[in-house]
Amino acid sequence: MAAQPDRWDLEVDVVAIGSGLGGITAAIVAHDRGKRVCVLEKAPRMGGLSGYGGGEVYCPNGRHMAEIGVEDSDEATRAYFDFLAAGFNHPELTDKLVASYRSAIDYLETEAGVQWVPVKGLPDYYYPDAPGSNTGRYLSVALFDGNSLGEWQQKSWQASPHLPPALTHREMYDWGGLGNVTQWDYELLAERIGNDQRAMGAGMMGYLLKAALVDRGITGYTEAPVRELVAQEGVVIGVRAEREGRDFFVRARDGVVLAVGGYDHNPDMAAMFENMHEWNSSTQPYFHGDHLVMAGELGAAIAAVPPTNLGMFFGYNIPGEEHEGVPLYRSSWECGCPHAIWVNRAGKRFCDESFYKDSQPALRSWNGHAQAQENIPPFLIFDQNYRDRYPLGSFTPGMDFPPELVTQADTPRELAEKLGIEAETFEQTIAHYNEYAAQGKDPDFGSGHYPWTQRLAGDMSFENPNVGPLDKAPYYGVKLVPVGVGINSHGLRTDTHARVMHLRGHPIPGLYAVGNSAALLDLGGGYQSGTSNMRAITWGFIAGQHLAAGS
Amino acid sequence: MAETEYSTTTELPVETVWAFVSEMDQWATMLTGYKTHEKQSQTDSLWTLKGDLGILQRTVQFRVHVTDWSGPARVAFELEGVNEVLEGSGEFLLTAADAPPDAARSRSGPIVRLMARILRFFHGLVHGRVEREAEAGRNPGAGGSRLSFRLRVDPGGPMAPMVNKLMEPAMLVAAENLCGRIIAHLEGGSAPGPNQA
Repeated sequence: MAAQPDRWDLEVDVVAIGSGLGGITAAIVAHDRGKRVCVLEKAPRMGGLSGYGGGEVYCPNGRHMAEIGVEDSDEATRAYFDFLAAGFNHPELTDKLVASYRSAIDYLETEAGVQWVPVKGLPDYYYPDAPGSNTGRYLSVALFDGNSLGEWQQKSWQASPHLPPALTHREMYDWGGLGNVTQWDYELLAERIGNDQRAMGAGMMGYLLKAALVDRGITGYTEAPVRELVAQEGVVIGVRAEREGRDFFVRARDGVVLAVGGYDHNPDMAAMFENMHEWNSSTQPYFHGDHLVMAGELGAAIAAVPPTNLGMFFGYNIPGEEHEGVPLYRSSWECGCPHAIWVNRAGKRFCDESFYKDSQPALRSWNGHAQAQENIPPFLIFDQNYRDRYPLGSFTPGMDFPPELVTQADTPRELAEKLGIEAETFEQTIAHYNEYAAQGKDPDFGSGHYPWTQRLAGDMSFENPNVGPLDKAPYYGVKLVPVGVGINSHGLRTDTHARVMHLRGHPIPGLYAVGNSAALLDLGGGYQSGTSNMRAITWGFIAGQHLAAGS
Repeated sequence: MAETEYSTTTELPVETVWAFVSEMDQWATMLTGYKTHEKQSQTDSLWTLKGDLGILQRTVQFRVHVTDWSGPARVAFELEGVNEVLEGSGEFLLTAADAPPDAARSRSGPIVRLMARILRFFHGLVHGRVEREAEAGRNPGAGGSRLSFRLRVDPGGPMAPMVNKLMEPAMLVAAENLCGRIIAHLEGGSAPGPNQA
C-alpha cells in the first residue's frame, strides 16, 4: 500500500483498474452519472480477457428471447441458477445478480450502442435435465467495425488465437460447430479480417471501448500497471500506477474498481489456490492476481468456490506457438468429436469427454489409497477416422503433426506402450468403447447426452454427434496438461454493492471488485458459458451506480 | 496467397549491395523472426523463423531453393514448408537507383509484371497504403542502387484464405525491415545482429 503522494499526476472521481467488461462497464455507468473516470490497463491493448474470449453473455428471460420465439421466466432462471450454485452461493449476492443483470445488459444496448444478437437454439449446458434450463438464453454481438475505434483500433484486441477471427456465434453454430471447422467459409472471414470486422469477445469489447474511450472520451492508458492502492485511514483514495517507467499517481475521489481478472499467470497463486501440480493458461499473460495482493494489503477477505466446477480445461501447446511472448496453450475440444476419447495412465476412460463439466471433477478425482490424482495426466486418443475429418488445434486434415506433440502408432497396444499407458487395459478400453460407439452409444459415461455438447463440439452428421469408434489405424495420442481460462476459484469477497469486504466483515471504503476479480459467490459452484461475462457486466453496472451515488 | 514487396535506395553502388545480399549468412539474422538457417548446397538451405499471424506467432521451418542467380541483379527462390503446408517464392532485385523498378526482373514477362502491379495496388487498398518506397532523406544520384525484396507465400489447408489475410501485415513489415536493415548496415548505421520477433 502506497502513502499519499506529495502531488497527484491525475485527479478523477473513479479509477477502473482493468479494461475488460467489468471495468469498462463501471467506467461507462459512473461517467454517465457525472463522474470523471480513468481506466488503467496493464496490457498493451484494451479489452482484457473479455476481448479475448468467446463473447457469449448469458441473459435468461432477456428481451431478445422473444425475437427467436423462446419463452422464459424469472422463476426458471432462479431455479437454474440455484442448480448451478449447488448450495455454494451466497443467496443475497445471487438475489442481487438476478435482480440486476437484465438492466445492466440492456443499459449497454440502449446507452452504449452494443448490438446484442440472440444465439438461436443454443441450449444451456444442462438442458433439458436441470430445473429451469432452457435454450436461446445466450447473447452475442453483431460484427463490430474496428475502424470506428480511432486511435484505439491498434490498441485493442482485434481477435483471439482460440477461434477464427471475425466469426459470429450464429455462424459458428449454423456452420456446424467446432466439429465442422474445416468446412467454414474462410473466404468470407478473410474479407472481414481485411476490413477489421470484429466478432465474439473482441467485437463485444469493441462496442464497449468505443462507447467509453471514443464516444465519451473517458481517459484511458494502456501499459499502465497499477502497483499499489493509496489509502488514508482505511479509505482508498487513489492508486500508484506506472507509466513510461515512472510512478503515476491517480487520485480517485469516489473510489477504485478492481477489474484485473484472476491469477492464471501467477504460478504461486495458481498452485496455492487451484490444487494442481501444474498450471498453464490460454489467456493473455497479464493476469497475476494483482487484486489479491493490493486489496490484501488493506485486509480484504478472500473467498473461494469449489474449483471442481469452474472453467478449467486440459489442453496442449503446439511446439513453437506463442502469443504475447509466451507459449500459447489451447484448450482441448477434440474429445467432443467422434472417434476421440480420453484415458488415464491406467488405460481407462473416466468421464464424459464431450462435457467438460463432467470431465473436470473426474480429473480432480483423488485416489486415497494411491495418494494421487489418478486421472492426471489425461491422454487424448484418436484414430485415422478422426484425422481424416477433424482438426487438432490449428492442424487441419492433411497437415503433419509435430512428433513432440502427437504420438502415432499402428495399433492401440503400440500407442499405449509409447505413451506409457497400461497397454492391456487400454486395448480392452478401446474394444469396449468401439462395441457401443458403432451404435452411437456410450453406456459408461453418456457422452453425447447433452444438446449443448452436440451443438458445440460434435459432428451433427453422426447419430450421436459426440461418439464414434476408434477402429482405423494409425492411432494417435496427446498427453494433456491443465489449461486455465482465467476463471479462478479464489477471488475477493464482495457485498451486494460490489464493495470489497474486509476480513472483519465490513466493506473497505472506496474499494470495489468486479468480474473475475470478485469471488464467484453469486453463482457458487456453478459456471456455464456466458455467466462470467454476465457477472462482469452486472457487477460493473452495480459498482458504477454505487460509486456515482456518492458512496 | 499473401504477397508483399518493398524497395529502398542507397547511394552505395550495386556491386557493394550485391556482395552483401548474395551471401545469405551476412543478412540472415536481419530477417524478422529469424531463428536459424543452414546451407545445404549452393542452391538449397533450411530456415527456421518465427512467423507472425498477428493473433499468434508460430515457428515455421521451410526449405529455400534458389531458382535464378543473375548477379549482380537478381536472386530468385522458391520455398516449401517443412512443418507447415505452405509454398511460395521470392526475389531480391538490385538495380541502379534511377532505373525503372522492374528493370532487374528482365526475365519476367509483361503479364507477370502487370499482375505484380495489380497485386500491389490491391494490397495497398487493403492496408490503406500504397506500396512504400523508403527514399526520404536519400539522394541516390549516379552510382546509387535500389534494393527490392518480394515475397509470396501460399499456405495450404481449408483455412488458407484466412491465414493469408492474417500474414499480410507482418510480411509487409518484414520486407521493409529486411531491406532497411541491409541498407542501414551497409551505410554503417547499424551492425547486423540476432533479430527475434
